[in-house]
Amino acid sequence: MRRLSQTGSPLLLAVVAAVVATGLVACKGSANNASSSSGVSGGGTLTIQGDAGNPTLVENFNPLASAEMHGTYLIYEPLEIPSPIDGTYTPFLATGYKFTNPTTLVYTIRQNVKWSDGKAFTPADVVFTFNLLKKFPALDLQGVWQQLSTVTASGNDVTVTFKTPNVPFAGTIAQTPIVPEHLWASVADPAKFANTKPVGTGPYTLTSFAPTQYALAKNPTYWQASKIVPAQVLFPAQASNQSTNQLDVTSGKFDWAYNFLPDVQKTFIDRDSAHNVYWFPPGGTIALYLNLTKAPYSDVNFRKGLSLSLDRTTIETKAVNGYMGVASLSGLILPNLQKWLDPSLPAKGVVAQDKTAAAAAFTLAGYTNTGGKLVDKSGKQAAMTIVMPTNFSDWVAAATEVRTELGAAGVKVTLDLPQYAQYSSSIQAGTFDAAVGGFGGTGNPYTDFNNALNSSFATAVNTPTSNNFERFKSPAVDQALAALASATAEPAQLKATEALEQVMYTQTPVVLMYYGGSWGLFSTKNFTGWPSAAHPYTLPTNYSNAMLVVLTHLTKS
Amino acid sequence: MSILATVPPPREAPGGSAEITLRTSAALPGPVQFLSRALRTLWSNGKARLGLTILGVFILIALFAPLLAPHSPTATTFPPYLNPTSTNLFGTTGNGQDVFSQMLYGARVSLLVGLSAGLAATIVAVTIGLIAGYRPGPVDEVLSFVTNLALVIPGIPLMIILAAYIPSRSVWTIVFVVAITSWATGARVVRSQASTLRSREFVTSAVFSGERLFRVVFREILPNMTSLVAASFFSAATAAVMAEASLEFLGLGNPSTVSWGTILYYAQQQNALLTGQWVLVLAPGLAIALLALSFTLVNFGVDALSNPRLREK
Amino acid sequence: MGYALRKVVLFFITLWAAITLNFILPRLMPGSPVDAALGKLASSGVQITNAQRQAVEIQLGSAHGNVLSQYGQYLNDIVHLRFGRSFSFPTETVTHTIAKALPWTFVLVGATTVFAFVIGTLLGVYAGWRRGKLADSTVTIGATFFAAFPPFWLGLLLLYALAYKLNWFAIKGGYSPGLTPNFSLSFLSDAFQHSVLPALTLAVTSLSGWVFGMRNNMINILGEDYVTFAEANGLRTRTIALLYGARNALLPNVTAFGLSLGAVVGGSILVEGIFSYPGLGNLLYVAVSNRDFPLMQALFLVITVSMLVAIFVVDLLYTRLDPRVRQ
Repeated sequence: MRRLSQTGSPLLLAVVAAVVATGLVACKGSANNASSSSGVSGGGTLTIQGDAGNPTLVENFNPLASAEMHGTYLIYEPLEIPSPIDGTYTPFLATGYKFTNPTTLVYTIRQNVKWSDGKAFTPADVVFTFNLLKKFPALDLQGVWQQLSTVTASGNDVTVTFKTPNVPFAGTIAQTPIVPEHLWASVADPAKFANTKPVGTGPYTLTSFAPTQYALAKNPTYWQASKIVPAQVLFPAQASNQSTNQLDVTSGKFDWAYNFLPDVQKTFIDRDSAHNVYWFPPGGTIALYLNLTKAPYSDVNFRKGLSLSLDRTTIETKAVNGYMGVASLSGLILPNLQKWLDPSLPAKGVVAQDKTAAAAAFTLAGYTNTGGKLVDKSGKQAAMTIVMPTNFSDWVAAATEVRTELGAAGVKVTLDLPQYAQYSSSIQAGTFDAAVGGFGGTGNPYTDFNNALNSSFATAVNTPTSNNFERFKSPAVDQALAALASATAEPAQLKATEALEQVMYTQTPVVLMYYGGSWGLFSTKNFTGWPSAAHPYTLPTNYSNAMLVVLTHLTKS
Repeated sequence: MSILATVPPPREAPGGSAEITLRTSAALPGPVQFLSRALRTLWSNGKARLGLTILGVFILIALFAPLLAPHSPTATTFPPYLNPTSTNLFGTTGNGQDVFSQMLYGARVSLLVGLSAGLAATIVAVTIGLIAGYRPGPVDEVLSFVTNLALVIPGIPLMIILAAYIPSRSVWTIVFVVAITSWATGARVVRSQASTLRSREFVTSAVFSGERLFRVVFREILPNMTSLVAASFFSAATAAVMAEASLEFLGLGNPSTVSWGTILYYAQQQNALLTGQWVLVLAPGLAIALLALSFTLVNFGVDALSNPRLREK
Repeated sequence: MGYALRKVVLFFITLWAAITLNFILPRLMPGSPVDAALGKLASSGVQITNAQRQAVEIQLGSAHGNVLSQYGQYLNDIVHLRFGRSFSFPTETVTHTIAKALPWTFVLVGATTVFAFVIGTLLGVYAGWRRGKLADSTVTIGATFFAAFPPFWLGLLLLYALAYKLNWFAIKGGYSPGLTPNFSLSFLSDAFQHSVLPALTLAVTSLSGWVFGMRNNMINILGEDYVTFAEANGLRTRTIALLYGARNALLPNVTAFGLSLGAVVGGSILVEGIFSYPGLGNLLYVAVSNRDFPLMQALFLVITVSMLVAIFVVDLLYTRLDPRVRQ
């Protein structure tokens, strides 16, 4: 009573109004990205969307680990990069390669390349990197040392010898990022090394890191600096929910974004028809991975029953609005890899929904449909939990439709939608029941099949692996993969590939559904030269080394 | 529990000058007569009239949904992401379902959850309130303490954790979770009224004349608290409707149910705002708001019944 | 003095009860979340020490050891702020994760409560003063209507209209990307601007408690003797309303504050998720989608304790401000 003797409603109101007004006026400017190209010389700023935090970015620029920030691909370079579309090589740290005999591969290393700290890059660094993978198997995510026996340098060359001939594996070797010996030799545990001050040979170096955004600046001593245009590259963090990211992407804040958008014409192109372009080439096959270490997924008949119960056309429409097509169960992306297709596969490997055949397959697996439920001999209903990241809205839509269709077949399906990191550790550890994931899409049939089917990746449950999450094991298939690896002439390669396609088609180790798109969303406001249907030099994925290739193609608008 | 749970507890005990006459253990007016008198009184209050009308409309929609809805709510036969057209008055979802039909059928679930959870919470509140109010001493102390504890513990976080723990996903999970988090306000009010009435003459005379506890509670005390219980019920129902929407929006409900909350859940998942389908966001939210509003408006009338000071002149 | 002491004792008892409730809850639930939690921790690849593993087991109710010793260990862990590891953020302790988010929620909730209190009280005074007239009905029905809005719904609509379509505010975040949190004016104003939409959403939906509390107060006070006396002495109604009625009714009603705070905290969980605002609500949102029980438990405890403390502080303040309350 005493305290409030002088106050009255008008004063309170005035104070409130003043505070609100200051806030609004002071900040309209920063409603948009506070990271406009102020203070950046000449080349302009490239803003890329796609780095997801958990929910904020965790600083990790270790190119050999699996949790690194996407910008790492612009800091470190590999020997060469094959195109994921047609396999043609773009040289980087190697100027060329040659198989001197089926088990010996020689790379000619580029000269006059410097690390970003000024030290010279030499073939010794290449040898060091590969030997690092050998010494710390936790880093060897691609299973390089399953195939190699030695890596040595002499003069300007690095010689790689294989245990058994494996021509297609050269692509994997070539894509290994090279790290500097003079800095990494003293790292105690490179698998856990966050590498917060990265030194690489690539076109950019790290200038700042915050949990919401990090920035790279052009490396002026880069060996092809004249081809690199943007002076700065910004990576703002994504939000943890997909809807917000989609709104963000369509607000014109990014030069390059990667996000599925429903009705892209209306939601993206029309927002800025002068500058917004998109390209959605198929980037892989979206599949339902079944954990083969668990019954009844270990039974091929049960898997066939599941596969035949699916109406892939509807799933594809629900997931990606008809942008892509239904998958061929051969495992190949058609029509891109048409030339590898086994002609004996009916309808190019495309299988339509067939409920009768599905029921027959289920019966063979010991499951019968009683009262709308698919039950086993003891009367227990078949149940499945499908896991996928909560913000991959197209995967969620596909899984929702799968739930309806399998539900009609009598299987009780539940969806589990954790954050991406949880999903990732779940599939790597093999603790999932069923999962939605990507299959293939490397542009090389051998690599596609090898990653999915090679038993060397099939670790025990709870031991993480980076491929073959379903833990498929078959000595026959391993042999077939080895046969493809060592085939040097095309007829032999074709025959070996066809054998693997037959395995995919008849044994259904993974239930392929539809082609997943590479959701390339570009703005030509600041830069042009983006990959497109007219110039498909790489896939528009900004979470892989395709970024390095794209940056060398960009020019100012 | 939303702020509406507190709107508005009567400022003073209604026993004194209230319109509800003190009833002796002699003739009790028939329940039908009582109900019709209550309704008439409610109807005379402007706000309550509005509330009853809105509620009536929703009840009718819920009852006649199969007749009113042009299509099945779950059939995915339409092209997805449509804006309102003549076939699909509110447009379609990303799965190709008709939103208008979903809204009509959704009324059933939202009303059911709201009323059931409200009822359950009220039963718990009245039970605890009566026991605490009628029996002073340690029982009262303990129950009052528990009630105060339940009041301060934030409702929505508790609901979220409970719903996350419970493995089964169904509407009844939500009813259960809402009921056990929303009883506290009602219990407090009931308790204070019960303890006031306990010392009234008609109660003491009933006790002295040998009436059993059960009869005393149900024939003497409870009838004098009808408006209080009704107010508590409507508050709880309001909170329940909001809570149900929130839990479903977070994905803690059963995604195959059709209710206003799940329409919002899917609208968010499939980004209706991005595709410009603001109707998908506006319609269910507005419906939830109107339903909650109708309960609260009726509550105004109920309060005016017992507290003449709050009646409109 | 005796009154304040009683309040302090009551506070600690309630605190103890809340902590114990947090201990009991997971043990009542069907299905043990412990195995899920431990499994996920194991496969996250981060080295978990035995002490941390034990902390998770105790927090979530593992099967071995007797309950009393677990309870003792649990209390010990709480006092030392050891909440174990969450598997959404396995590289840092739960305490650290929550500590980063806490200030944001404090600021949001605090600002919203103050804002709602000010606007709600002013409207309540107006409505009480103009009781029975159109203004009163408009304000009361309006406030009720806004309170019936699900906060996340209003948030979505504001996001769409003001942030996405009109571009007046940012779509997400607590501050612009690339800035590091500090106390400079530019950062504070940037953070303020990012908090306007979430705060507005929460304030609008929690107004009604203040409006009605104040209105009822005004109505009661306007019926008091000293007001009648002032009227009889010839003072104008307006003077009476402002100088006497409003001031006396202005003292915050503690119960109303407690319930309003509960509503704001609850609403903030949904609203922070929509705006990707880096507070506790967003963390709970992430924890729920990951079924991250250690994090959920810790968050629930932190939120409850914060609310208890806030209500306790206001309660103590109220007893100093209003001598009528002390017995």
